[in-house]
Amino acid sequence: MKTFKKIAALALTAVLSLGTLAGCGQASYTSGNTEYFIGGTGPLTGDTSSYGISVKNGAELAIEEINAAGGLNGTTFKFDMKDDKSTAADAATGYDALWEAGMQISIGSVTSGSCESFATKSVEDNLFFITPSASAANVIENRNNAFRVCFGDPDQGILAAEQLTAQYTNIGAIYDTSDAYSSGIFDAFKAKMAELNVEFKTQSFDAENKKDFSTQAEALKDCDVIFLPIYYTEASLIAKAVAAKGCTAALFGCDGLDGLADLLDGTVPNTITYITPFDVNSTDPIVSAFVAAYTEKYGVAPDQFAADGYDAVKVIYEAMKKAGVNDVTIDPSALCDTVVATITDPSFTFSGATGTMSWDVSGACIKIPQIVVLQ
Amino acid sequence: MSTIIDGLSLGAIYALIALGYTMVYGIAKMLNFAHGDIIMVGSYVIFSVFAFGGHPIIAIASSVVVCTLLGVLIEKVAYKPLRGASPLAVLITAIGVSYLLQSIAQLIFGAKSQPVNMGSFDVLNIAGIDINVSTIITLAVGAVIMAALTLFVKFTRTGRAMLAVSEDRAAAQLMGVNVNRIIMITFAIGSALAACASVFYLMQIPSTSPTLGSMPGIKAFTAAVIGGIGSIPGAMIGGILLGVIEKIALSIPALNPYTTAIEFSLLILILLIKPIGLLGKKRREKV
Amino acid sequence: MKYFASVKKSFKLKNYINYILVGAILLCTTVLQYTGLLRRSNANLLTQIAFSIILAVSLNLVVGFLGELSLGHAGFMCVGAYLGCYIANMLHAVIPSKLVVLILSMIIGGLIAAVFGFIIGLPALRLKGDYLAIVTLAFGEIVRTIFKNLPAFGGPLGLNTTKYGTSLFIPALIMVLITLIAAQNLVHSKHGRAITATRDNEIAAKAMGINVTYYKLFVFVIAAFFAGIAGVIYGHYATPVLYSFFSYNYSIEILVMVVLGGMGSITGSILAATFITYINFVLQTNLSGDLAALKYLIYAIILIVFIIFNNAPALAPIRDKMDIGKLLRRKKAGSDPSNIHGDDADWHRIPTKIRMDELLSLDVTPDPYKPVAPDKNKSKKEEK
Repeated sequence: MKTFKKIAALALTAVLSLGTLAGCGQASYTSGNTEYFIGGTGPLTGDTSSYGISVKNGAELAIEEINAAGGLNGTTFKFDMKDDKSTAADAATGYDALWEAGMQISIGSVTSGSCESFATKSVEDNLFFITPSASAANVIENRNNAFRVCFGDPDQGILAAEQLTAQYTNIGAIYDTSDAYSSGIFDAFKAKMAELNVEFKTQSFDAENKKDFSTQAEALKDCDVIFLPIYYTEASLIAKAVAAKGCTAALFGCDGLDGLADLLDGTVPNTITYITPFDVNSTDPIVSAFVAAYTEKYGVAPDQFAADGYDAVKVIYEAMKKAGVNDVTIDPSALCDTVVATITDPSFTFSGATGTMSWDVSGACIKIPQIVVLQ
Repeated sequence: MSTIIDGLSLGAIYALIALGYTMVYGIAKMLNFAHGDIIMVGSYVIFSVFAFGGHPIIAIASSVVVCTLLGVLIEKVAYKPLRGASPLAVLITAIGVSYLLQSIAQLIFGAKSQPVNMGSFDVLNIAGIDINVSTIITLAVGAVIMAALTLFVKFTRTGRAMLAVSEDRAAAQLMGVNVNRIIMITFAIGSALAACASVFYLMQIPSTSPTLGSMPGIKAFTAAVIGGIGSIPGAMIGGILLGVIEKIALSIPALNPYTTAIEFSLLILILLIKPIGLLGKKRREKV
Repeated sequence: MKYFASVKKSFKLKNYINYILVGAILLCTTVLQYTGLLRRSNANLLTQIAFSIILAVSLNLVVGFLGELSLGHAGFMCVGAYLGCYIANMLHAVIPSKLVVLILSMIIGGLIAAVFGFIIGLPALRLKGDYLAIVTLAFGEIVRTIFKNLPAFGGPLGLNTTKYGTSLFIPALIMVLITLIAAQNLVHSKHGRAITATRDNEIAAKAMGINVTYYKLFVFVIAAFFAGIAGVIYGHYATPVLYSFFSYNYSIEILVMVVLGGMGSITGSILAATFITYINFVLQTNLSGDLAALKYLIYAIILIVFIIFNNAPALAPIRDKMDIGKLLRRKKAGSDPSNIHGDDADWHRIPTKIRMDELLSLDVTPDPYKPVAPDKNKSKKEEK
């Protein structure tokens, strides 16, 4: 009888698992599309969820605007983002789900680790993607279908080295050894500093020790400036730890510091400067229109990730428009070839919330960075 | 030198958490995996009181009260039914409680870390060393709490009953000690200590998140093991030792990325070489 | 002829049900795959289910059969994934066949993980219970930290691996079958009986001449070996292999599978691993934002409720009533196997589907001096 119970349970599981297999594989998943389908994955849960949610919001705003303006020759767009929790495995699962739902073109993944996973799959299918924020160098390397909106990590490191050596003499840096973004920038920074022949002090932390920064602040408290190629959550704690040590060094960071102001509530007297493609207070008409629309829709001001997500979708739209795409059921691979040819054409430039951009065959975005002083 | 001062103040926090572990382990003979998460709850209580504009004293008091009640509740609901069951079952339940607290906190407050400002503290210069006032408070209050606890266990009726239960539960019961009540009191004290730890934690690291307690919790357990589990002075020594070691490892750039690995290797080594820790008592297993 | 008769006699469906189940799924899906009817996402789900089953079954050997809690199972998987795939990357340059590389790297990754299992098994000889649990947890974290800091394995970017492709689930499910054969044969052998005896009473087992040291190490090594293989399969499924995946949370997730399926029940582990992986798959596409914490809330409740229900001494009478299988057996045979010893409570100390009497192959006959079963006494009392 016990055996019977077991068999019943097993049969149930078998039905359950085979049920998921139901539905036939198709040669083309896009043949039933009635809208152009843009897909992507990003962390909607977990520690980095704020980036994923921002990108999603920005992208959905862009879709709304495009559709309100009549879409592409009357055909509207739809957008879907799957949660990947910043993990490679979930990005792969998300990719499959989107692919089978008829994804034709994509904004890739939000974070570098997931985007690497996403990219390996997209190369097999020859699916065009332009990632809003996966800045690690290897995401677009040797991939014809891979593009990005943000700066690459090495570019920011080099720029930071140039900026800091021009203004300060006693330089310190704190970076996250467990994070691809942070170590990517730091490695380039270090190489550039060696090239410029400037000495600097280094401190680091990792995912397990990213709360208490008194040691790092202690070691660097004599510096004029501390370079922080990290994200804003840890940067806020470092800023407070530095201030608690009575240290007045300036803090200099990269685009990850965007959003820092909200976490400081006026307890840190130090000057904070960072490199960013997006300044929420900019008077540029495109930027201020985006900020106004975003604030109205979501009730909060956009951060840089939202702007990147917005731009990524708009770039796709502009490129498809310029290429004269006219078939809503177009095969992803065919669409990819067309869009790549358009976007790498020297005559293609795009002005969005994160500046005026153009692309070459490497997939890297060419745009002018801004340096924003927070306080 | 500054590194060592920082280490002492971190160590005092570990010591407070380790005290809770060591008391519960010594008396209830179980590893309360959820202990670290009670610290997290304490920090969210403070965060919530601040969000409603409460005074820091009210925040601290309510944190202690909520944590104490929570500790007793967890003991009643999750651990008491399992008294007499296999230690494996109790341990898995404790892990379950830890997850329960974390996920509830995330559902209420979100996964993002929230800033909690306990006020800014001055930096004093004593004999050429910069010391933050918060560090001094942490060390002083930590020392007072530990002294009080030692006296409590040695000189009060309840305290001696605790010792008796930890020595031999069955015999204590025969002598008229209400074992269930003693275990409940132990959980209450341990959780109140966790609430104190959350206050000091926020003074040093002004931010809270649902996973705030898990790493300090595991490290404090390491500290308790180093000191010899079940021993109150052992927990203090172990906590401070671990805090100083962590800070020294963090301050050496070559060792910095391996800090967690170093601490855990230390745990494994101590357990292999001297499983009873520095001040623990040896027990013989009987059939 | 005689041989077949004896096979027929000794054939018990419940011993083969796991193979039949996995084999049937393997057969169906392989046919679907080669006729092009299988969706890519489902093929990948099958791969995930396959390595989850391997992990759950191997952890069950440690937790359910050896009775020691390991919180570092993801650590063994991590070793297998990193080192196995590192070697696979080198092999790809030499061997063109992906399948051969997969098999070789599974063996190598498994063996290296087994070495780590041996190293972690050593403290197991001196430590027990809570201490051992925390050592395994520490081990998992140490392994992760080290791989994160080694530039040869990509550091924080993770190790880039070569994917096997969608048909990975076929070798993965075959690997599940191999794991099941190994685990079931181990459990039903005299070694398995020695292992459970060690779990139930180490000192008594020692007194019976069981080499406790050997068996503890043996179980850790076997479990680590299969966890390492699961890691290699993972590495061929997702790229990059990233240290953050193998966190303590993942070890707990595997533990949840074991507890949900029932400690000591291999069929249970298979079902629970399938169920939880499937639930994760569904939730991923449907739960977003902080609601994802619901998943961990469910895990927490599963752990607490299942453990309390299966272990609380006060709930023993209810458990007896609920155990339909046991009631039926009693009616049919008129003898409850647990009657051979007076103290029934002992058998509930660690819940397991496999009873001591089965394991020690004792003849289950009613005790002549104790004709009345203690359970019957209990139910009579309740009636009053």
